[in-house]
Amino acid sequence: MAAHQADAKRMLDDRGYTGTLIRGQNPALLFEKAVRDRITESYYWKEQCFGLNAATLCDRAVELTFIGGTYGVAQKPTPFLCLAFKMLQLTPDKEVVEAYLNWGSEVFDRKAEDDAEGDGLEQLDGGEVDHARRQKTIRAEFKYLRALAAFYIRLTWEPVDIFKTLEPLLEDRSRLRQRKRDGVDLTFMDEFIDRLLTRDRVCATTLWKLPDRGMLQDLDMLEEYVSPLGEELEELDRDEEG
Amino acid sequence: RQHLVATGQSGEVKRATVHEVRERLAWLKRKREDEKDAEVVDLGERLAVRQE
Amino acid sequence: RQWDDDDIAAGLDALDVDDTDDVDPAAEYLEWKVRELRRAKRAREKVEAAEREREEVERRRNLSEAERE
Repeated sequence: MAAHQADAKRMLDDRGYTGTLIRGQNPALLFEKAVRDRITESYYWKEQCFGLNAATLCDRAVELTFIGGTYGVAQKPTPFLCLAFKMLQLTPDKEVVEAYLNWGSEVFDRKAEDDAEGDGLEQLDGGEVDHARRQKTIRAEFKYLRALAAFYIRLTWEPVDIFKTLEPLLEDRSRLRQRKRDGVDLTFMDEFIDRLLTRDRVCATTLWKLPDRGMLQDLDMLEEYVSPLGEELEELDRDEEG
Repeated sequence: RQHLVATGQSGEVKRATVHEVRERLAWLKRKREDEKDAEVVDLGERLAVRQE
Repeated sequence: RQWDDDDIAAGLDALDVDDTDDVDPAAEYLEWKVRELRRAKRAREKVEAAEREREEVERRRNLSEAERE
């Protein structure tokens, strides 16, 4: 499909839908009907999401200032949720989604070297400095765009790819604002990723059931998860046992 | 929709390539940095004006 | 840019919550470490629970075999 209709109506009309299927169904249906209706009725959707493609969607995504589902008495959808819905409509190629997720990490590689001195990490011991500096190579240039891509990946990709792609981001401790029913609080990229991998419901969306990680390991489809804490964690384990 | 067709927009949106996406992100990053620089310059100018 | 009249009316500004990174990298690292440890603990407990369950099934199977004989 080289182009899609800018209008969501055709997408939402199942009979006319001819686009990419996700797990055998129209990807728009991954959101509940009530949520879909609230999105397509929202001002942000009508004014800011009309006619976007995978490139121009970035203009909006880099302006995001919080993640979240719906909020307030009217259960208004966040721009984050609207853009996620837009992505379900666009079903961008895998490499596009990966670009959203990781774009800019390579820029930080150089920055980490430049900043290696005088970055306020002297108070930590050796290993901890490494972890803290590593952070700069892990972060994305646009963190809310990364969060959006991660949410989309959890909704649309295959289980093994979900684990392989998202788990490395458990090391990204970037701070994220999160819109709640009545207010805003702070969360972290690693916490958001963990919720995507372990919870049933995130951002007003019921996530389809992910197979158990241990089962995928037993089937040799997935390697064991190795925490960036690595040896340190093993030492702690030994301490507990001993 | 008819209005859009009338104004020359067909309602069809061209699918973007990964190359276009990367270009767009690079442009957005430059834009953001330029805006930040402009703020600094602006602040510097205001301070200079105040000193005069 | 906030697109949110409700918030403006409620005097709520999402931007009041600060999401700036690296204000205190040392503290932020240690906070992350606590979260990662908690996740590791949860994963380990899950494996242990599955292990216990397997043993229990095994035990019952042996029990019923013994009863049959």
